[in-house]
Amino acid sequence: MNNFEEINIGDTLGPLELFVSKDQCRAYARTMGMGEGPGRFTDDEAARKEGLPGMILPGNMSLGLLSKLVTDWIGSSNAWLTRMSTTYRVPVQPDHTVTIHGFITNKNPEDRTAEIDVWMENEEAERLVTGTATVRFR
Amino acid sequence: MSTILDLHTHSEASEDSRAPVEAYLNWIKLRQAERPLDGIVLTEHRQFNRDADYRRLEDKFGMIVLRASEVETDYGHMLVFGVNDDMVARFDFADVRLDAQTLIDEVARMGGIVVPCHPGRPNIGLYEHYQARPPLENVVAVEALNGGSRKGEDERSAELIARHGFAATGGSDSHLVSLIGLCATRFAASIKTIDDLVRELKTGSYEPVDFRPRRKPVPHAVVIESR
Amino acid sequence: MTVKYDPALINRVFEVTEPVEAKAETIKRFCAALGETNPLFTDEEAAKKGPYGGIVAPPSFAVTFRNGRHFFENVPRFGMRGFDAGKDVEFVAPIRPGDRVTLSSHVKEIYEKTGRTGAMVFVVIRSTLKNQNDEVLAHIDHRFMNRP
Repeated sequence: MNNFEEINIGDTLGPLELFVSKDQCRAYARTMGMGEGPGRFTDDEAARKEGLPGMILPGNMSLGLLSKLVTDWIGSSNAWLTRMSTTYRVPVQPDHTVTIHGFITNKNPEDRTAEIDVWMENEEAERLVTGTATVRFR
Repeated sequence: MSTILDLHTHSEASEDSRAPVEAYLNWIKLRQAERPLDGIVLTEHRQFNRDADYRRLEDKFGMIVLRASEVETDYGHMLVFGVNDDMVARFDFADVRLDAQTLIDEVARMGGIVVPCHPGRPNIGLYEHYQARPPLENVVAVEALNGGSRKGEDERSAELIARHGFAATGGSDSHLVSLIGLCATRFAASIKTIDDLVRELKTGSYEPVDFRPRRKPVPHAVVIESR
Repeated sequence: MTVKYDPALINRVFEVTEPVEAKAETIKRFCAALGETNPLFTDEEAAKKGPYGGIVAPPSFAVTFRNGRHFFENVPRFGMRGFDAGKDVEFVAPIRPGDRVTLSSHVKEIYEKTGRTGAMVFVVIRSTLKNQNDEVLAHIDHRFMNRP
C-alpha cells in the first residue's frame, strides 16, 4: 500500500466482491466454538425456527470480512488497523454474493491516522453491515 | 434563492454513528459537484444537544449546521425541528413510546414542527400504523426519500403522500461520513437559521432531491472462491 | 425506559476467564475461513521480515475469544435470546501464536430503541483481552440486541 503522505480523503478501498458459501460460514462458526450441531450459523432449519430467513453469517465473520478489506489494503506496509466498529443492520445469508466497499473519510496528521467508512452490500446494493475503521501509520 | 439541506443526519452523538460533524462537511465539500448541499441538520437519536455549537465549522466550510432530533413514538420515528427548552422540559426525548399526536400538537404550539421520517419502514413508519389505526391529525410533511431505505420503503412513503396530500422532504439518515447528502430537501426560500427552517417546513414549498448514484458495475472486483 | 432493570447491573463485572491459547492451528483455520492470504498472517518466512517479526493473527481474531460458560447465564437479558448487533473493537496489540488470552468483562450500558423489527433492548458488554504478560491485546464493546 501507501504511506500516510500518499493517501487522500475520498480514496476508495476495494470494492471486494465475495461469495461466502454455507460451508465457509460453518468453518468460521467452528473457530468461534459454535460450529457443532444445528444453530443459526450452521443450519437453515434451525435458523428459521428463530425467525431468520435461513442460515446467517456470524456478526464476527462480517466484522472479519470488513477488517480484511482494510488489512488487504494495508498489506505489509507500516500501518495497522487500530479500531473497527460495526453495525449489523440486516442478516447476511451465505450462498449469496456480497460486495465490501471502503472510503477514506478523514486524515489526522497529529496522530497519523486515517478513518475509513466500510460497508457490505448485497446484490441489490442494500447495506447489510456498516462500519468505521481507524488505521494508524508509522 | 433556493437552499438544499440534508434534513436527516446522525453524528457521533448518536450511539450508532461514529461520524464527526467536521468530516461530514468536509465530505460535502469534496463531493460538491454531485451533492450540491448548502448544509445539514443533525437529528440525533432520542436526544437534543442544546449546548453543541457549530458556528466555527459553519464559518470554516461556508455551510449551515442546524440541530434537531429524531424521537420514537407510538406511530414510529419522527424528526422534531425547532427544539427549544419548553419542548425538552415537556417531553422525555429518550422515551421510545412518546404519544405521536400529543408530540405533533404540542411541538407546533411551542413553535416547532414534527415530520414523520421513513414512513414506509416496517414498525417504525407511518404507513404500517395507518393500516391499523386512525391517521394522525395536523401532519404537514413526511420524509419521502430516506438514504437508508430498503426496497419498497420509499414507494410506500410515496403512496402515503399521494393518499394524504403531505408535503415531502428528503434526508440521508446518514450514520457514515460518506453517505451524507445522498438524499436532501430543496427549499424555494433562503434558509440560514432553525427559525427559517421551521417557517419554511410549514409552508410546503420544498421537494425531496435524490443524489444517490445509479448503480454501476463493480470495477476491478475480486472474487474470493469459497473453500 | 419502558423496560425496567436493576441499575446495579451497570458495571456488573463477570469473572475473568481461564486463559485460552491462541494456537497456531486455530489461527490457520481462522485465516482459511475468512479467505485470508495476507503473508503477515499466513506465511512464517514472510512474516519474520514484517513489522511483527513473526506470524500474528488477523486483528479480528480477537473477537473469537468468548466469555466463560456462565456468562450467558448471567448477562442481563430482556425477553428472547439476544443477537449480536455490532461491535466496537480497539486493537491494541497483535495476538501471536502461543499467546494465552484472558477476558474480563462488565456491563457498560443498557438502552432501548425501536427499529424495523420492533422494540429492542441493547445490552453493551465491555471486554478487555490480555495475554500471559498482562499486556492488553484489545478492548471490545459487544452490543447484544434483545427483544422484550
